[in-house]
Amino acid sequence: MSENNNQQPQKWTRADELHAQRVRLGEIREEEAFNKKRYALIAGIVLLLMIALILLAGWRISAINQNIISGSAEKLFDQDYESVYLFGRVVLIILAAGYAFYALIKIIAPKRRKPNRSFWGDLGIYVMLAIVAVAMAFPLVFSIGSALKPLDELFRFPPTVFPRRPTLDNFSDLFVTMGQSWVPFSRYLVNTVFITFAGTFGHVVIASMAAFVLAKYNFPGSKTFFSIVVTALMFSGYVTGIPNYVIMSRLGMIDTYWAIILPAFAAPIGLFLMKQFMEGLPDSLIEAAHLDGAGEFRIFWSIIMPNVKPAWLTIIIFSVQNLWNTNASTVIYSEQKKTLVYALQQIQAGGIARTGQAAAVTVVVMVVPITIFILSQSRILETMASSGLKD
Amino acid sequence: MQSTFGKYLNLKKQRAAYSWARAKRMKVCYLFLAPYAILFTAFVILPIVTSIYYSFTYYNILEPPKFIGFQNYVNLILQDEVFLTAVRNTFVIAVITGPIGYILSFLFAWFINELPRWIRTIAVVVFYAPSIASNAYYIFSIIFRGDAYGYLNSFLLQFGLVDSPLLFLLDPKYILPVIIIVILWMSMGTGFLSFVAGLQGVDRSMYEAGYVDGIRNRWQELYHITLPSMKPMLLFGAVMSITSSFNVCDVPRALAGYPSTDYAARTIVTHLFDYGFSRFEMGYASAIATVLFVVMIVCNKVIQSALRKVGT
Repeated sequence: MSENNNQQPQKWTRADELHAQRVRLGEIREEEAFNKKRYALIAGIVLLLMIALILLAGWRISAINQNIISGSAEKLFDQDYESVYLFGRVVLIILAAGYAFYALIKIIAPKRRKPNRSFWGDLGIYVMLAIVAVAMAFPLVFSIGSALKPLDELFRFPPTVFPRRPTLDNFSDLFVTMGQSWVPFSRYLVNTVFITFAGTFGHVVIASMAAFVLAKYNFPGSKTFFSIVVTALMFSGYVTGIPNYVIMSRLGMIDTYWAIILPAFAAPIGLFLMKQFMEGLPDSLIEAAHLDGAGEFRIFWSIIMPNVKPAWLTIIIFSVQNLWNTNASTVIYSEQKKTLVYALQQIQAGGIARTGQAAAVTVVVMVVPITIFILSQSRILETMASSGLKD
Repeated sequence: MQSTFGKYLNLKKQRAAYSWARAKRMKVCYLFLAPYAILFTAFVILPIVTSIYYSFTYYNILEPPKFIGFQNYVNLILQDEVFLTAVRNTFVIAVITGPIGYILSFLFAWFINELPRWIRTIAVVVFYAPSIASNAYYIFSIIFRGDAYGYLNSFLLQFGLVDSPLLFLLDPKYILPVIIIVILWMSMGTGFLSFVAGLQGVDRSMYEAGYVDGIRNRWQELYHITLPSMKPMLLFGAVMSITSSFNVCDVPRALAGYPSTDYAARTIVTHLFDYGFSRFEMGYASAIATVLFVVMIVCNKVIQSALRKVGT
């Protein structure tokens, strides 16, 4: 035992010594001068990129102008607007480039480099990361752009990503279309909101109760039950859809909200994440409460639950995301009980004539889960840290 | 022999009695577990069991199920050519998007890990957004639209790469690649989040120790330190990745139509939907579901045992 205790610090002193030695020998370069060179290099690259981008933008604008003058393209917007557009574009590019430059400097050239990281490796990885991030974000940006385009720009050749004259017409059209439908729009919204709230609330309570005993007590059958839940993580709602339909119809729940809400209570992912997170809580909390004479339910409600708030938020977002996006077309038949996403998908299926509205639908539907995620992402990551599957 | 068996039985009995006593003592645990366990049994376990049972019957909801043995499976393999197409498509999609999506989400999580906190937050949102943005994949039907107004087509036309617009979503040649691209775009899901969070939790002192012990670049560090300590997350990510790559259904239905041209975008799950909810041949559809269960469980076992060997 004592040997083990001694070994650890010894190793550390050796590491420190080695590090100091390497610094003295100049193998690890931490001088300011070296960093300055780097700043200059990156600044040069970024400046070149910026100039290229601005030239490109200018060239495109002048090409469009020439087309307008020679009459080969119809005049799509006023000359006044043109100059504003050009100016706005240049300002945007400069801002974006400046931001990118600042970010790169911040990342690439910290005062001390981490061990095992080469400068060029870092640069390459971050440039690649930036390119992939742009590619990932492009479809989302494109859908927001399309939702803001007036009709003539939606069918422009060549198509643009950003609208030249952004309007909210598509959204107002969407509400007009929804207003004309047989069932009022608000009904769909109420349906989805009710399903989402009820399903999420029940899921959080029921799954945390189960997770509490699975994580903190070792009773016969607990291990088996949990391993079944882990296996069930793999089965999506599609695969169990058919027998579920049969079971629902036996229970007489077809065409009621329960057909969506009850299966959502039993989602395996919530129990799994909750249990893994609760295992991280110290047992002494529970023992202390036991000594104070608190019952199991009391312990669960006033000691465990307040301590697992990050996990709550996480399973709330997974559940909301799942229920908000459910279209439930297989278990709900009456129009008054259909969900918002179902109604919106019907509009999306309207074909070419509804292109603008369909893009607006996409934006409306994706805003909710993404917003919730952005607001709670630090808590979610805290929970996911304990998500691993142990052997 | 008899006595050994008797001893064994006795031991088992004692064990059971002990368990039973313990279970009685911990009654309250079962009380806590009960609501979830009942719902879970009713809506997850029971469906799987009944679906295995129905797969041996002819069942159309109106009449009671009629036992027909392996007939459904025989028809599935010998007569249903569309099913074979569906299996092929599903495997092509799963084999490409599963591993690539899995590796990419790990690599990006790893790259992001060293960024300053606020940039990391932005990056996590950007990478994770496609998988939670519900039906945002719909926008790909505009990007890949078959006329000159489609984004990709206009791009190709402008640069003179094609003479006339390509029918990306109607031509069987292009449908599968398009779907694979879209699914890869959406593949940074729950597993990715788990990786990002797990990488934050790796013990920093291990890296310093590794540095002293002669690890010289980031790839060695990845292989010898990071991967072994990320094993639980890797296992979890694998489960998630198998789930998403085999249960492909919404994307092909939304993009390529349902049914798609020449069944080029038919997957096992859309096939199941077709038989289950359009033709109401529940027995046949259950056979399809059972095949999918088996494939996924086998896949999971193989991958889990392979992942356990990582870095050891």
